[in-house]
Amino acid sequence: MIGNDIIDLQLAAQESNWQRKGFLQKIFTASEQNLILSSKNSFQVVWRLWSMKESAYKIHVQQHSKRFFAPQKFECFIQSKTDGLVCFDSTKYLTTSVTTPQYIYSIATTKTIQNNSTSCFKINSTSRLNQRQATYHNLKSTISNRHKTLFDTLALKKNAAGVPSLYQNDQILTLSFSISHHGNYGLVSIQN
Amino acid sequence: MTKEELITSLKTIVKPYIQDEEAFNNLTEETDFINDLKINSANLVDVVLDVEDKFDIEIDNDSMEKMLSVKAAIDIITNKLNQK
Repeated sequence: MIGNDIIDLQLAAQESNWQRKGFLQKIFTASEQNLILSSKNSFQVVWRLWSMKESAYKIHVQQHSKRFFAPQKFECFIQSKTDGLVCFDSTKYLTTSVTTPQYIYSIATTKTIQNNSTSCFKINSTSRLNQRQATYHNLKSTISNRHKTLFDTLALKKNAAGVPSLYQNDQILTLSFSISHHGNYGLVSIQN
Repeated sequence: MTKEELITSLKTIVKPYIQDEEAFNNLTEETDFINDLKINSANLVDVVLDVEDKFDIEIDNDSMEKMLSVKAAIDIITNKLNQK
């Protein structure tokens, strides 16, 4: 399984004040808070860790179909500039993160060797609806190219837990993917 | 505080974070913060912190875990206020 999460850093700076009293304490474990506060670029570490937690949570929801809000329970371990590990109880999720001055994203997987195709793209719209449409469009066109199917036969539907699935002519496609968008950036990851 | 008063206070709290105006205008107990109001999950922390400040209560992690809807938030606030 696969989960991803992207953060538009410019928008994150506007939307959230990570230095707000209580903010770090609600989201991060004591050791994650140390990591953030001892870094020269705390802002970047906050969002790297957040995207790791969120991408792992997105797999967890696929596995258990139950939504909840417990960011602290997804404990992050940074192994390198890109590699990370997220532990939830005894479950481990492996993450790969990409950091640029504009955005940060993480992709979580359940197994070590798991190929995925990820595309990160710019969305030139400030409307959240357009941003979502652009992300859905990217997913559908990628799948229609790959499966040599018609774009218009594909539809995206979410289940009660908010997990999206792709349908072709009302038949569900057995395909593991994850989509995310935030501000001017979209992210589509498909497990190969 | 009545349930209506609680909903009104909660509406004021969530307003800065909502991304779906229509769902906000039609807010009921059943409204989901993320699915309906499209509050981004990082801002859900701000909602929790604002609720703590406004009602002078502490929302522990177990309560926060469930705080995904107006109904859940009202239950949690009522509970914490009763414990005071």
